[in-house]
Amino acid sequence: MLRSDQIMATVEMVQKENLDVRTVTMGINLLDCRRGSAKATCDRVESKIAENADRFVATCEEIAQKYGIPVVNKRISVTPASFVGAGFKRKDFVSLAKSLDRAAEKAGVDILGGFSAQVEKGITKSDKEYIDSIPEALAETERICASINVGSSQKGINMDAVAMMGKTIKELAEQTADNGGFGAAKFVVFCNQPGDNPFMAGAIHGVEEADVVLNVGVSGPGVIARSLEKTIKRRGRENLRLDDIAEEIKQITFRVTRCGELIGRQVSRELGVEFGVVDLSLAPTPKIGDSVGEILQILGVDAVGAPGSTAIVALLNDAVKKGGVFASKAVGGLSGAFIPIMEDAILADAAGKGTLTLEKLEALTCVCSVGLDMVPIPGDVDADTISAIIADEMAVGMVNNKTTAARLIPVPGKTVGEVVSFGGLFGESPIMKVLNVNKSGRFVAWGGRIPAPIHSFKN
Amino acid sequence: MKKQLVISVMSKDRPGIVADITGVILDLDGDLADLNQSVLGGYFTMILIAEFDEQVTPEDLFAKLSHIKSENKIEATIQEMPLPLDMEKDKLPGETFIVTAQGENRKGMVKIMGDFFFDRNINILDLVTTRNQQMYTMIFQVDLSNIDSIGVLRQELETLAGRENLDLVLQHNDIFRATHEIGTPFGSSTE
Repeated sequence: MLRSDQIMATVEMVQKENLDVRTVTMGINLLDCRRGSAKATCDRVESKIAENADRFVATCEEIAQKYGIPVVNKRISVTPASFVGAGFKRKDFVSLAKSLDRAAEKAGVDILGGFSAQVEKGITKSDKEYIDSIPEALAETERICASINVGSSQKGINMDAVAMMGKTIKELAEQTADNGGFGAAKFVVFCNQPGDNPFMAGAIHGVEEADVVLNVGVSGPGVIARSLEKTIKRRGRENLRLDDIAEEIKQITFRVTRCGELIGRQVSRELGVEFGVVDLSLAPTPKIGDSVGEILQILGVDAVGAPGSTAIVALLNDAVKKGGVFASKAVGGLSGAFIPIMEDAILADAAGKGTLTLEKLEALTCVCSVGLDMVPIPGDVDADTISAIIADEMAVGMVNNKTTAARLIPVPGKTVGEVVSFGGLFGESPIMKVLNVNKSGRFVAWGGRIPAPIHSFKN
Repeated sequence: MKKQLVISVMSKDRPGIVADITGVILDLDGDLADLNQSVLGGYFTMILIAEFDEQVTPEDLFAKLSHIKSENKIEATIQEMPLPLDMEKDKLPGETFIVTAQGENRKGMVKIMGDFFFDRNINILDLVTTRNQQMYTMIFQVDLSNIDSIGVLRQELETLAGRENLDLVLQHNDIFRATHEIGTPFGSSTE
């Protein structure tokens, strides 16, 4: 029987609150692409991606059309390049990146993730070659995103790798200086990186995954913001308490997750590909009305970053998970609220006004996903300071058994308050201030490992 | 030999209508099958199917229903149906969609939509409409099995929306199931 109130509520969610599926990401295992030479391996990588992804984008569009729910991004993730190219030299890894770039273009996807490595405990010779290749590989490709896992709750933090990251990010930004250091926006450093995250720049197809898998990222924060505004207007602010707000977020997330999974499973059925997970993350876009920062304002802080912001993000993140976990048959990936400065117009505005500082951002990452994301910093911040910021963020993830990441962009030639813009989904923001620059060199110089935290004696 | 009767009744709503009508069916030794009831604007309506012995006629049943003591008359229509009834037809087809249409209230709004669907050989499976002040809302559950291209239909709906000043939205029925039912419409993991 038709329930008109329920149907109209859903119609409103799709039409007026811009419900969509943020991303459908096809993960492809490339380990069997290994051949006798780097050239032959790269060729096989291109052909394997083409074989699996040729109908991917068209099928996503067909299903979106049929169900009346847009699929905003279609992406591909692959097995971390360091495994595929074990034994490669620096130039071979650059060739691999170019092959991946061509494969992505041919498949019609705007981004491919997985130019990656996992070095949380130790770095192999080819890992070093891979790391050396990152600046050139990302500067000379359009669609490739890179990520590296330098820490985990089980293995600790590889500080040798962290020390290399500061230099790598600086060089990457320098090589793409013409475009504001854009290369650094395509590179993210992780602690506890998941192998089934569909969101970029950190998507990889983990070695624990099946041959080809589809993972889905649900709709963004805009739907939740609009729904909260409507509830507050309808019921009156004075009649609501925070547990009511949490309940509302849970319910809307339930619906959003169900839509995402429905579309994802239809695409996977159509393509004959295994369905992986739904990632519950709220991923903002620079579009007005699609901001996590706006939810903070709606829930009661007049300036994003003001005291109370961390508590609100904690409530939001938890309610999103509770609603989504119940809705879905398989939840995975990052599954939390993202706070990427440049990709969220309200957060970027707060960064410009100085109400949201790097230190407060770090605090927020303790209670949400994923970390210091899309943070533009002055181009003259030294490599060791960047490494030390990353070390701090990795420590948050390692100790709290959660994923954390850092995507810092030292914008060449620009300083605090100046605006950097990458356009499109990468957005824009005033450059944030970094306190205590040039004061962490002695710490970063130690190298070695920060041991994993103790996993018993939890009292 | 048994016979099957389809009975439709309408009356001003009050407690006891179901008890009265099913009492009559039991008196005639009838076996009740499927039944649907609905109340709209204070009026009760019900359609039901029941199986009777060969000698029971629609007239017998009608006479008994007419004798129900009630302040408001119970109107009934009875038809004999061939056995067996095809209950499979009541299952929703795979291409079931929902079309919602909203606009400022005026005469002929449902007909506009009815004509649109008829012209395209689209069967309406269920329909609910409400008038809230000046806003008229129609919700059609439709079977699009005969439609070749959802994309073309969307364009045609868009044209209709512009011409008739209606807010028209077409969405798959599974979206509503997914967002409002506890059970998932995804099928089993091994599917």
